[in-house]
Amino acid sequence: MEKPSYNTDIVRSFVTWSLVWGLVAVLVGVIVSLQMVNPDLNFGPYLTFGRLRPIHTNAGIYGWGVGTIFATFLFMVQRLCKQPLWSDKLAKFQLWFFNATIIASAVTLLLGYTTSKEYHEMEWPIDVMVVILWVAFAINIIMTIIKRKDEQMYISLWYMMAALIGVAILYLVNAAAVPASLFKSYSAYAGTNDANVHWWFGHNAVAMALTAPPLAMFYYFLPKSTGVPIYSHRLSIIAFWSLIFMYLWTGAHHLLWTPVPDWIQTLAMAFSVMLIAPSWGSVINGYLSMNGQWHQMKENYLVKFLILGITFYGLQTLQGPMQSIRSFSAFIHYTDWVPAHIHMGTMGWVSMISFASIYFLAPRIYGREIYSIPLANLHFWLALIGQLIWSISLWVAGVLQAGMWNAMNDDGSLTYTFMETMVEMYPYWWARVIGGAIYFAGILIFVYNLYMTVRKKETIPSTTAEGRA
Amino acid sequence: MLEKKPVLFMILATLAILVGTAVTMVLPFVWVNTAADRIEGVTPYTPLQQEGRDIYIREGCNNCHTQTVRPLVAEVLRYGDYSKSGEFVYDRPFLWGSKRTGPDLARLGGKYPDAWHYKHMKSPRSMVPKTNMPDYPWLNDNPLDPDVIRNKMETLGFPYDDEQIADLTGKTEMDAMVAYLQKLGSDIPWRKAAETTIVGDLTNPFPGDAAAISAGQAIYASNCAACHGDNREGMIGPELTDMGMEDAELYQVLHNGIPDGGMPGFSNLGSTKVWQLVNFLNSGQ
Amino acid sequence: MDWASILYLGVTFGLFAVFALIVVRTYNKKSKDRNESAKYRMLDDD
Ligand code: HEM
Ligand code: HEM
Repeated sequence: MEKPSYNTDIVRSFVTWSLVWGLVAVLVGVIVSLQMVNPDLNFGPYLTFGRLRPIHTNAGIYGWGVGTIFATFLFMVQRLCKQPLWSDKLAKFQLWFFNATIIASAVTLLLGYTTSKEYHEMEWPIDVMVVILWVAFAINIIMTIIKRKDEQMYISLWYMMAALIGVAILYLVNAAAVPASLFKSYSAYAGTNDANVHWWFGHNAVAMALTAPPLAMFYYFLPKSTGVPIYSHRLSIIAFWSLIFMYLWTGAHHLLWTPVPDWIQTLAMAFSVMLIAPSWGSVINGYLSMNGQWHQMKENYLVKFLILGITFYGLQTLQGPMQSIRSFSAFIHYTDWVPAHIHMGTMGWVSMISFASIYFLAPRIYGREIYSIPLANLHFWLALIGQLIWSISLWVAGVLQAGMWNAMNDDGSLTYTFMETMVEMYPYWWARVIGGAIYFAGILIFVYNLYMTVRKKETIPSTTAEGRA
Repeated sequence: MLEKKPVLFMILATLAILVGTAVTMVLPFVWVNTAADRIEGVTPYTPLQQEGRDIYIREGCNNCHTQTVRPLVAEVLRYGDYSKSGEFVYDRPFLWGSKRTGPDLARLGGKYPDAWHYKHMKSPRSMVPKTNMPDYPWLNDNPLDPDVIRNKMETLGFPYDDEQIADLTGKTEMDAMVAYLQKLGSDIPWRKAAETTIVGDLTNPFPGDAAAISAGQAIYASNCAACHGDNREGMIGPELTDMGMEDAELYQVLHNGIPDGGMPGFSNLGSTKVWQLVNFLNSGQ
Repeated sequence: MDWASILYLGVTFGLFAVFALIVVRTYNKKSKDRNESAKYRMLDDD
């Protein structure tokens, strides 16, 4: 069969831009972590913690996370369907519109135009841009899938399509607002309703942007890297349907003990615990795919990133359900424990899988073997160590803080004032600065390695290069 | 079959997503924010307060401060009565937050006098030395724009009158912020309800005890000095050198505060610490 | 039993039935090849 001519230019461009926004996100992460230990580093009105933190989170999720999703989905869909992209022009438009949207977001957030809703801070004109961007992306992916010859769709395509639909529904419903001016709007929902709608969005943004897409990548890049198929396609199908069904019930685990009706909280708690099953369905599928291949953990750096990534996903999906239980939430909610959970997910799971995917893409989009495998290994260790320092120190901090918040004297009064508990956090917040700096160093090495790859003179011999392009 | 037909597959996936959505996100609208939730006394924001709220959002205060008190013992002791759904019916968007880098603010209204907030917002560390909250001095420099605020009130459908709008002229963003902070959680009379009366005689457990006095001095430095001055010379609050109050009377004041005068109560320090403070203040040092 | 409980139980069992159906359909011996074929095909050189 004639090989279709795949569009790799667009993948290359998306990789470049997701790296740019990834660098920004992590750098701003380090900056806000410094602001938490030293308030003199706030330079008002624009560069204060309150304005920079949303830039960190949105650059992380939408710049780095979604940028990588765009790159890898556009790569995977062509190969999994054995079809060139439905429209190269649309993809080009998507690339520039993506960057325009991210830049507009960063600028407006710095200027203080924000809805305050976490991960949905951008004001309504940018919501409109996001919708256009997502529609352009979705049409291209879906049309490419529809064009393909009738064959059983591989599981990665399932997760990709679920993410396309899921993000669209979530984002649109949560964006409903009444504009007061070009850069100020008021939510269409009030108080408790707004909270409930928002965390329905919030948790499922985790599902549809930080779980389904990395799973699509994992299911694709793991077998491609090891050369052996996944353990069971059927298991992945069962896990898929259960996962996308259950996730949508769990938003209220962010709102335990708040005025949201109890029955919603209880449903969220129950479904969160049940979510362990489909989540671990993928984890186990991943591990069993390594049967007889574990030696590759030593020989193949891609496998190292992927297996560590899925392991963090496994830990994340045990810890998350634990946090969804009322009694446990009473203790750790609002403390530094939660950012530690988040960063095991973002720095451990999402980013590890993204690093692996980009390393895998490198020879195929640059036509050159990776510049240095030792540097890739160094990157792996810096990322792992940096992330572990980050999370472990903040778990300890969270438990300590929760204990102090709840400590009571014999006469029924509180043992500590709020400030007495806060000052105890400083050493742990310093540890996070160090962990973050190590992680950032890892990313710099990653980017350097890719840069040197592009600059390499010797290309992959054209026969194989074509095969891989 | 469906694994081969992407359109059919997407319809089924959408249905799977919509079941949980319908039950946990759409259905609650039937009950939440209806008459059953209403609480008498909860009022919409005034133009000044609403503008303060919008500035709170602009500065991203919700990234460090939550606004819901959960019905848990330690939390009610620390912050006040737990939050009720009906208290939030005018909040667009909700500002419950997810991380307490700083304390919860749901019950802040009426805790401190205005003067405390003006100083604290300008330079938090002048009031709370070890805090990591940023300074917000520029709020003092930015005047309010009455037309913009009128338009916001119209959009929200909140009641207001021309006098309230006229009053905005000459006010700054700082005034708006403080007005908002003072409204937080004070629509229901929880402070009155939470006030404790002390029954029986109060006797000082450590009269003249040197250790108690020096412990009291340390507690003074971290809890009281910001308002009453390092040497009790008075600043936001009055000077505290010669008060001429009986120990028992002073204990009551420290325990409950003086709500009308803007002095917070310190019952959550516990009786031992409050007595230590009493001994320090009445020690003549 | 009131109608609410019956509805509640009905929905619960209905959902279990759907789940069982998906499992049966996926793990049906006859369609094993069909349901596992994609994982081999994706490895084709490209
Ligand atoms: C079974 C799966 C999971 C469950 C049940 C779960 C549960 C939770 C819960 C209960 C919280 C709120 C904690 C609190 O505020 O007290 C939370 C926060 C969060 N989780 Fe997970 N989690 C899961 C998996 C993941 C994964 C895979 C990621 C990937 C990155 C992730 C990212 C986050 C983020 C970003 C937040 C922060 C939201 C915020 O408060 O701003 N979670 N999770
Ligand atoms: C060196 C790496 C990083 C550092 C130093 C860092 C630092 C921080 C800090 C200091 C916060 C604020 C925590 C608080 O308010 O208590 C934060 C929040 C957050 N970061 Fe990062 N971060 C890093 C990497 C990332 C990456 C790669 C992502 C996403 C892909 C990410 C996503 C988030 C999210 C979603 C939150 C919000 C947490 C919440 O809602 O409670 N971070 N980060």
